[in-house]
Amino acid sequence: MKRIGKLEYLLLALISITLGNTFLGEQFASTILVSVIITITVIYKGFVVIDHFMELKGAHKNLRLLMRLYFTLFPSLILISAFY
Amino acid sequence: MGSQLTNKSLSIFPKSWSEKNAGRIPGNIPIWVGILSELTEFGIFFAAYFIAKFYYPEVFSQGPQQLNTSLGVINTIVLLSSSYFMAKAMSYIRLDNRIKCERYLWLSFSCGALYLIIKTWEFYWNNLQGLSTSSSEFFTVYYYMTFNHFLHVGWASCAILWVIFRLRNGAYSAKENSGLEALAVYWHMIDLMWILIFPLLYVLR
Repeated sequence: MKRIGKLEYLLLALISITLGNTFLGEQFASTILVSVIITITVIYKGFVVIDHFMELKGAHKNLRLLMRLYFTLFPSLILISAFY
Repeated sequence: MGSQLTNKSLSIFPKSWSEKNAGRIPGNIPIWVGILSELTEFGIFFAAYFIAKFYYPEVFSQGPQQLNTSLGVINTIVLLSSSYFMAKAMSYIRLDNRIKCERYLWLSFSCGALYLIIKTWEFYWNNLQGLSTSSSEFFTVYYYMTFNHFLHVGWASCAILWVIFRLRNGAYSAKENSGLEALAVYWHMIDLMWILIFPLLYVLR
């Protein structure tokens, strides 16, 4: 029997978060709490792809920092837009 | 010329950016110049989205409710899976297993093609609902962002076919796979952009 590796677990986590976020969006209005949850999960999804799929974890530290900054900055605007 | 392109210590970067000091660059420098340019382009789209949402909060609250969320969710899962297949393809070329590498590249390509089919269906479905670029400010941003992303998936899928062709010709191995890795990081960048586009256009109300 094939062993389930780290990449498989991460893929399942990413899909589960996507479905969870969609459920939140469908069931609830975009309150501050919903926006906080979506912001955090989007940042987490981005970091997983950057570190484990792009394999920037342990690679060029400045490229990793740039990518992580980008994926912190833009999702954070979701939270700011909740106060519009 | 060739040696210039593969030179990983281009003088335009400070010394602290060299691979020796900062760590390995996945793929090659030209693809990262491309990726950072694409990130800037999408960054402008995201800025446009948030500025438009600031001025038209009601329109941006109603817009996502008119979209077919199921198609957006399916496309997200398809793209996440494609990234997983691409990462697997990279892991197999490092083991010099070209057969499994090619198999996973085909799976990645299939996901790219499936994404394009679903997105085309979504545009058609929108059209049937009477939705277009001029329906509202939300839909102007929606079409601007998603069609641009659609084009990126399209040409990156063609690039996968090119890489499969090169792989079959023995261009990649466990020792030399920078071309394949360059495609992989570009593909993951496209997936990353969708990870951000999806909640903005389909989830947030």
